[in-house]
Amino acid sequence: MLTKRIIPCLDVKNGITVKGVRFVDLQDVGDPPEMAAAYERQGADEIVFLDISASAEGRKTLMNVVERTAQRLFVPLTVGGGIRTKEDMRTALNAGADKVSVNTIAVQRPDVISEGAEDFGRQCVVVAIDAKREGKSWKVYTHGGRKRTDIDAIEWAARAEGLGAGEILLTSMDADGTKDGYDIPLTARVADAVKIPVIASGGCGKAQHIYEVLTQTGAEAALAASIFHYGELTVQQVKDYLIDKGVLVR
Amino acid sequence: MPVKMAIADYGVGNLHSIRKALEICGAKPYIVEDLNDLLEAECIIFPGVGAFDKTMEKLQPLKKALIGKLEDATPCLGICIGAQILFNGSEEGKTRGLGFYQGEVVRLKADRVPHMGWNRVDGEDSILEGIESPYFYFAHSYHGDPSEDIVIGSTDYFGQVPTLFLKGNTYGTQFHPEKSSASGLKFLKNFVRFAEAWV
Repeated sequence: MLTKRIIPCLDVKNGITVKGVRFVDLQDVGDPPEMAAAYERQGADEIVFLDISASAEGRKTLMNVVERTAQRLFVPLTVGGGIRTKEDMRTALNAGADKVSVNTIAVQRPDVISEGAEDFGRQCVVVAIDAKREGKSWKVYTHGGRKRTDIDAIEWAARAEGLGAGEILLTSMDADGTKDGYDIPLTARVADAVKIPVIASGGCGKAQHIYEVLTQTGAEAALAASIFHYGELTVQQVKDYLIDKGVLVR
Repeated sequence: MPVKMAIADYGVGNLHSIRKALEICGAKPYIVEDLNDLLEAECIIFPGVGAFDKTMEKLQPLKKALIGKLEDATPCLGICIGAQILFNGSEEGKTRGLGFYQGEVVRLKADRVPHMGWNRVDGEDSILEGIESPYFYFAHSYHGDPSEDIVIGSTDYFGQVPTLFLKGNTYGTQFHPEKSSASGLKFLKNFVRFAEAWV
């Protein structure tokens, strides 16, 4: 039986891990390769690096960081942020990423999804969606959550799947940074709308939140950042909690 | 002497992890960009990166020679797509495979595809010896469906899926040992020991 995945996420800016609260107020928290290796030892099933550098130089730094990380990391690494073309995907994969995630560019030019899937395999292409509630539906936001689009998040997830996405990384902008728990209705709707795996993101404040999103929705994986970075919980503690509740983890 | 292992570079994807993992496991891996050099290798690794057609386009000219080399008992490990190209062909692509493993690569019949994440491999082969928790990382939409008796391990994902193959000295894994943390490193250590006995 497939196990549920716990994925620590590292927001990386100019080569250093930071974590924002509600997409602003960044604080430095550590060296990414070191943190990734530590998370693997704790039992992390995968690692996500999200590059939030604004400059090309910052992104080059990230590729060095990815290379250093891949030398000592033996769980999958996803890299996202600033990937605009198939060549950017290739650079990230050759540097040591196992998957790349696309967000803004996928909305602007959806063909980038199929191009990536064709060359690298669809398991390499993660479509990241930032969604925010408006009444009874959710709208897709781009540019790191700064720009609203008219696109419905559920429809977009289904379309991304059709274009060749291998996975959806779904962040609820309403929940992100609140530590009040994942957005269960949004995650459930998206997971029901697609057959590819959905990673739930945004809002994790304790192990119980991970349990809730993994059991009350079809999400295959839960992503979290601050609860791990600030040492509030280890990945193993979360897994022990889940095992205790009867959730299958590695 | 550590076994020299040639990792085929199809021009795409992360080869750092497999190289580093094999190094840690006591082998001497090197990356082969000119695929002709595979024919001189004492052990061949087909890594698990890329898509079926793109990979086979690169290997097509070497098809006969490679099959000869595998039939000649050269130890080989194919990972994920690197195992799928050992079959006759795939529903994923139009290009034919190497045809060393008899059978086709078919799409997973499951409610969620790709099969992505950590799952258990059950089998008896010595390559799985000493692995405490046989959970490995998978990321695939297709799997080998052999028409000959080469399955030595399988995985429960909406039914039993064959995920570990052995024919002659050629192992094929549908999972990624280089991405499977301690279990994967132990698996690769076992493969290195297996290869040492043959070269």
